[in-house]
Amino acid sequence: MALAKVHGVVVWGVSGALVRVEVDVSSGLPSVGVIGLPDTSVSESRWRVRSAVASIDATWPNQRVTISLSPAEVPKNGAGLDLPIAVGVLLASDQLPGADVSATTFIGELGLDGRLRPTRGAMAGALAARAGGLDRIIVAPQNASEIARLPGIAVVSARDLAGVVAILRGADPGENVPVPPEREALEGPDLCDVRGHDHARFALAVAAAGGHHMALVGPPGVGKTMLAERLPGLLPDLDDETAVEVAAIHSVAGLTRPDVTRPPYRAPHHSASSAALLGAAQGHRVRPGAVTLAHRGVLFLDEAPEFSRPSLEGLRQPLESGQVSLHRSGWAGLLPAAFQLVLAANPCPCGQRTGNGAGCSCPAQAVRRYASRLSGPLVDRIDIRMWLTQPSGAELAAQQGGDDSATVRARVVQARARASHRFAGLPWATNAAIPAGRLRRDWRPSSGGADLLADLERRAVNLRGPDRVLRMAWTVADLAGRDRPGRDDVAVALGLRGAGLGWPA
Amino acid sequence: MAGVSDGVAERRALIRLAHGVEPGDARIGRLVAESGAVAALARLRDTGRGSVHLDGIRARLASAGPDDPDARATEVGAAIVTRLDRDWPSQLDDLGHQAPFALWVSGAASLRLLALRSVAVVGARACTAYGEEVARSWSAELGGERWSVLSGGAYGIDAAAHRGALAAGGTTICVLAGGVDMPYPRAHDALIARIADEGLVVSESPPGESVRRQRFLSRNRLIAALSRATLVVEAAARSGTIATARAAAAMNRPVLAVPGPVTSPASAGCHRMIRDGDALLVESPGDVLDLLDLSHASHSHGPVAPDPRPRDGLAARERTVLDAVPSRGTVTAEALAAAAAVPIQEAWAALGVLEAGGWVLADAEGWRLARLTPRRRDA
Repeated sequence: MALAKVHGVVVWGVSGALVRVEVDVSSGLPSVGVIGLPDTSVSESRWRVRSAVASIDATWPNQRVTISLSPAEVPKNGAGLDLPIAVGVLLASDQLPGADVSATTFIGELGLDGRLRPTRGAMAGALAARAGGLDRIIVAPQNASEIARLPGIAVVSARDLAGVVAILRGADPGENVPVPPEREALEGPDLCDVRGHDHARFALAVAAAGGHHMALVGPPGVGKTMLAERLPGLLPDLDDETAVEVAAIHSVAGLTRPDVTRPPYRAPHHSASSAALLGAAQGHRVRPGAVTLAHRGVLFLDEAPEFSRPSLEGLRQPLESGQVSLHRSGWAGLLPAAFQLVLAANPCPCGQRTGNGAGCSCPAQAVRRYASRLSGPLVDRIDIRMWLTQPSGAELAAQQGGDDSATVRARVVQARARASHRFAGLPWATNAAIPAGRLRRDWRPSSGGADLLADLERRAVNLRGPDRVLRMAWTVADLAGRDRPGRDDVAVALGLRGAGLGWPA
Repeated sequence: MAGVSDGVAERRALIRLAHGVEPGDARIGRLVAESGAVAALARLRDTGRGSVHLDGIRARLASAGPDDPDARATEVGAAIVTRLDRDWPSQLDDLGHQAPFALWVSGAASLRLLALRSVAVVGARACTAYGEEVARSWSAELGGERWSVLSGGAYGIDAAAHRGALAAGGTTICVLAGGVDMPYPRAHDALIARIADEGLVVSESPPGESVRRQRFLSRNRLIAALSRATLVVEAAARSGTIATARAAAAMNRPVLAVPGPVTSPASAGCHRMIRDGDALLVESPGDVLDLLDLSHASHSHGPVAPDPRPRDGLAARERTVLDAVPSRGTVTAEALAAAAAVPIQEAWAALGVLEAGGWVLADAEGWRLARLTPRRRDA
């Protein structure tokens, strides 16, 4: 066989792309050529592969070797193509007689000694392979444990090129089958550690159940971060499809998480550049930003007004569409960014504007400017707004000890089940995502709730953002196990919308 | 004592008078104040030929007016409010014998509640771009601070004020000189319809009545009487706007004036009022708000009026929490929950309803009572 065809994958954006590696060994002066838009790391592959082949009991063909990567227009980067190229060379030079690789993908970087190394984006690559109809994937052990949970494709791990050759020759890969990591006990801080803040803990449950974005305002040290980092623990597990989607994104970023079924949590510091927040591309390589890494999870912006204006402005698009667009010379397209936003802010730049405001040294102008950085379209999307005050000693002493995260999560799961049952066949699954136009028409509260809303709208000048109230009322009703929000649910929702924060509706 | 049926007859007589008597007729007003509307109506019908003035009214009373004025009002999407109705703005009593007998109100909101927190923004029809911009942006600011903007729906400053308030999502009240179904000027059909949708359109003339010169002047006194203060944006030296401001001053309501270039005739009236000490110079919406707050606090004529916000819409729990809010100072939600002996969750729900209903206000310090009624200076 002078021509071999082997499947490999490369990373393109935050997803994988299936690449066909064709190796042709023909007569001519001994040489190795790689064609098909390889970048430097792919071009250098020939040196690594040559040494790796020499390290096992095989010979490098003393002929002209042409390695073609197709589709030719997709730029190839990364060292993950080492393994398919090596296999292709061995096949083309008839050193792997009878091996069937038509339904197998190979991912891995080769060391000069033949050792197989893990590569970035294995999960994304495995997804692309599965979508391309392939049913077996051979990877390094570290990558194998990352993708072991992916259904629909057999994952085989090998320590080195010799191991791969053995598998292709029909050896039982038994001892190589990766052991899926035991699902670790839920990590992360638990809700029951929070003392006081009863109302904020309830608000967290509402946020988790309805997918509502949330803002926490209060002086430094009051517990904004403490509360925010407990939100992921209240969210339900990701379903299989979503977990894989999230794992693929994280694999492209070269990140691993202990438990891929849990929603991710990202908390970029306010000094983060807008590229770090929204994503960047270096050449053809995409670096997902925090908004993409928080996809299907929680993005927490502490001291949100301190973020740069381009960063805050850039959040509008993902908040509206669940995607962020990235336009660079090397790569242009949309990255997924459907996150739940939690932002925290101090009441003023110095943070002491609370109580009678005596401790605050900020000029009035600075206070107004600080608050105004968050106004507008960003704040419009935030349903739940909490003003946090330091719990007094008496309140802490009186506290009974609240529910732990697992208990609240069970309630959230039930509430979400109610909502998704209600929204069956509709393109959204959470109350926070009900389109404004449909909300008033199709999702009215029961008569008691409707009367209260209508009453307030008719007589009060203060009812701002009635749509937000209605969305939250549905979630409150879901949590309470009611079919339709009643007067009490609307009232509770009114208490969650942050009256007095001085923000626009 | 007057029974229920007496009240009904009195109300019907007031509406009847509103059909027959030109707005602002103090002679008839005095008659009604002295003997009641039913008796006044009877005397007007029975008295033999007196003056030409009374003859005219008698003729109009005999001919004008539908059998069921309330039904007629409903036909044009309005409701009739008299001093016997709950929605009557009691500040109209400051007009004395010139107070209207009845008002036709088109729109869903409560005239009484909106007017309690309203400021008149008036000015020249022939305004400059400067005046229009000031009227628009200041009204937007006032609307944003939840003050209703009251004006007359005319060209120029009036329309800019209405539009500014609407643009800010605020409420606005348009007081018309003709019937509420006769928008004037016609070019503002759409604007006035939108105000009826999102705010209120008010008139003391019955539906179908067209505008007359005299009615503009009486309309102006109504604008001054309904609002807490009158802001004059641009006014020529002799104009209807000045008449509005004079009416406001006569009722001891604050008159505020926006200065303009000394070369601008459109500002001459404002400058004269400022120079003569009839109006206070204001430079920003913040100035207006400051002065409104002052007048809010120091406006003390007579005993404190009963709270116009009906409590019957509140649930028992909300009343409990409202009663626990101290009459002075602020309180945290947690302390409030403890004082009212309700769980914190329920306290927050109650506070949400109370805040939306205008009962309480929140800021960084906590919760406090919102006052719609004037507070005595010594309180």
